[in-house]
Amino acid sequence: MNNLNGTGKAQTTGLFSRVHGLFSVLKKLPDSLSAEELEGLIKVLPADSANSMKSLLKPSIQQASMPFLRMLIAALDETKAAKEQGYKVVLAPFNFPPEIIHAFDKLVPITTEVLTTLGVISLEGQGERYWELAMGLGLPDHLCSANTIDLGSMLSGMDFEPDAIISGCIGSCDVNSKTHEFVSLLMDLPQIALEKPPDNTERGFSFFKKNYYKMIRQLEELAGEELNDEKLRAVAIKVNRCTELYHDLWEMKKLVPCPVPGIFSLFVCATRFSMWGRDEGIKTLEQCLEVAKLNFKSDDYGSREEKARVLWIYLSYYYDLVKFYDWMEEHKISNMGDALQWAFPEPLDLTSRETILDGMIRSAWNNVMTRQMGAASMSQRWIEDIVYIIREWGVNGAIYCGHHSCKQTWSVFSITRNEVLKRTGVPTLGLQGDSWIRSMTPMSVIQEEVDQFVNNVINKRGRRKRRRTAGAAEL
Amino acid sequence: MDQLKELTGVIENSYVTAARAAGRKIVGYSCLSTPREVLDAAGIFPYRIKALGRAETEMADAYLSRFNCGFCRACLQLGLDGTYDFLDGIIETNGCDHLRGMFENWQYAAPRPFFHYIRVPHLVDQDSLEWFREEIELFIAATNKHFGAGIDDQKLQAAIDLQDKIAAAMRLIYESRFNNEIKVFGHEIIALSVAEGSLPAPDFLDLLKTFTGELEARRPLDCRARLFMGGAATDEIELIAELEQLGGLVTADSFCFGGRFFLREASAREPVKRLAEMYLNNLLCPRMFMSYPGRKAYIVDLIAKSKADGAVLFHNKFCDLHGIENVKLKMDLEKEGLPVLLLEKEYGAGADIGRMKTRVQAFLEQLKR
Repeated sequence: MNNLNGTGKAQTTGLFSRVHGLFSVLKKLPDSLSAEELEGLIKVLPADSANSMKSLLKPSIQQASMPFLRMLIAALDETKAAKEQGYKVVLAPFNFPPEIIHAFDKLVPITTEVLTTLGVISLEGQGERYWELAMGLGLPDHLCSANTIDLGSMLSGMDFEPDAIISGCIGSCDVNSKTHEFVSLLMDLPQIALEKPPDNTERGFSFFKKNYYKMIRQLEELAGEELNDEKLRAVAIKVNRCTELYHDLWEMKKLVPCPVPGIFSLFVCATRFSMWGRDEGIKTLEQCLEVAKLNFKSDDYGSREEKARVLWIYLSYYYDLVKFYDWMEEHKISNMGDALQWAFPEPLDLTSRETILDGMIRSAWNNVMTRQMGAASMSQRWIEDIVYIIREWGVNGAIYCGHHSCKQTWSVFSITRNEVLKRTGVPTLGLQGDSWIRSMTPMSVIQEEVDQFVNNVINKRGRRKRRRTAGAAEL
Repeated sequence: MDQLKELTGVIENSYVTAARAAGRKIVGYSCLSTPREVLDAAGIFPYRIKALGRAETEMADAYLSRFNCGFCRACLQLGLDGTYDFLDGIIETNGCDHLRGMFENWQYAAPRPFFHYIRVPHLVDQDSLEWFREEIELFIAATNKHFGAGIDDQKLQAAIDLQDKIAAAMRLIYESRFNNEIKVFGHEIIALSVAEGSLPAPDFLDLLKTFTGELEARRPLDCRARLFMGGAATDEIELIAELEQLGGLVTADSFCFGGRFFLREASAREPVKRLAEMYLNNLLCPRMFMSYPGRKAYIVDLIAKSKADGAVLFHNKFCDLHGIENVKLKMDLEKEGLPVLLLEKEYGAGADIGRMKTRVQAFLEQLKR
């Protein structure tokens, strides 16, 4: 590849290397930390990392966050080890379901946006230096920080190099697909394009299916191995377990007050984006469910106040976990999560290789962003999903984070807000900010706007009725 | 040429007024990937949606956001304020995220009687070509159904032949700038391209013949430097004219209101298949993936043929496709030894012209011209 810094001192100060270094330390933590031990750990960490760990490892969710961190460590370790073992690392965007890559022996998936988020939540200085490196190449400042931060690090020549890039957003996000293409061209990496046509019919699906099969052939060529039926089946079984747990958590979210901590939406989407169909992913989701059940069964559950049930209709903000997730919790606002968890997975039919692949293709077709922004109408499918979820979870307030790079959602936000209000009576707050760069809109401003929205708009419209669904009650 | 100036100064020109008076249907399209021969074959007047550098967006901003490209917002504005009420229909294409949003909002807020969506693939391969061929069939069926058009292969072939003649005539004018003596300004080429989507095909062919005749009598233009220009969709003729006044004559461009529209190479004979090839294979737009090397080679070749001293690459603020690709193109052209200026601009913003002129002036200095 073109080592852009020309120093030959690669792979020491890049985002991946630094994140991996920090997580290698976290790997040594015991399965549970007392409040005092956590306080001690936080004291030795740099401020930005300490802030995130304070939120991630707080005792009330530690049972789920430890497996979550270990899952991420496994993903990072595998990526690093792949090079030594002669395996190929395939970089893909978040909307590309990784399970097909897990089904290869010699391929390891890594997700751009997961790496960026890990960098932002764990590194001192967050991802800013990598963003600036990308800007230094002359790239425009309206790109998506979720891809540009990690890709900026790669382009600097200071980081690990993937062996191929999958462009999985063609048809659903210009900026994401174009940024990944730019990196593949600049680093001279093979690019595998997976296009989804904006057509919701079976004709559209069969075109997508052809594209997906072409992609499998390209992956086989890259790996130097054929997709093995047994391995595919083994992964598919675990995918189905992940799907089952995903739906169990979905059911729990119907309960009022919501027993599922807001930050679990981050855990769920990170699992979906990286370790879906793996034991580590299953363990994370199992423990998330376990914590939610414990919350539901706890003595004080019935007396918990819930001022609002807020749905982030596209992205959240990921640069300050304490002031985002914990702050909402402290203010009795149930954070119902964001669109990154709207993967709508369905169980795979394990009858044959064809049925398994058909199910995986259907999952990719329905995955986050692909499903909404890659639809025949960007607004229509998005609105339908929001309306469905509002009704499913008894949401009474919607928020659009307004990440400036999301040109597709911004272009239909007005229609969406109007239609959601018309169809459900639920108001939508439109914010502006960058989900991964704190300097764009400070969290204090976001808190103030959310607070005003909850107190002056949602709560003046009346409270939702407490309810328990049959499915949730069985849990 | 006064007629050209008049035609490119207003949205509803005299041809539109005449077509309306005669009861002829007019259908709007925006992207170059729209096979306008289908509308020609139906006897419909295909009108390319444009904003002619108008900066007003206050009504459009209630739908599209400030994070969407100014060109799309300006076009939507004209759709909402009634300027485009003469359109009997709109053809949507998935050119980019901004454009998709523009069409969705237009159809939501001020729907036209006929609306059809052509889903253009982003790749060029056999499956994509077949998909696009089917899309054209669907477009024909929808047009026939709504307008009772009766499009058949014969009519389509006639429309293709006419557009081929237009492309050939346009290419001659465009390539005349490759000579040492240049008689046509770059902004006139943009104006011709804008006019192409503003009047019926036979009338445009007549206009091209008149224009070519007038060129013969012209004296060669003074030229401080020969420039290549490329980048985002721009119908801002005045902007290019103002920049050319600084002495940098545009001798080639790859704008979609410009050098891209007359590329029509295709090998298939059957009309629909030919259209699919013609429009997909020659779509030199960064919305196409896996085909950057081809776009780059085409531009490098243009630059060589037009003897350009430097390149100016534009993108409208918030246009990701050109904004990103221009950076790569700049790197590659500089490797070839060509100086490159990247310009991010607001669409139709007169207030921005001073800054743009200063940048181009400085660039001309850099070229030592």
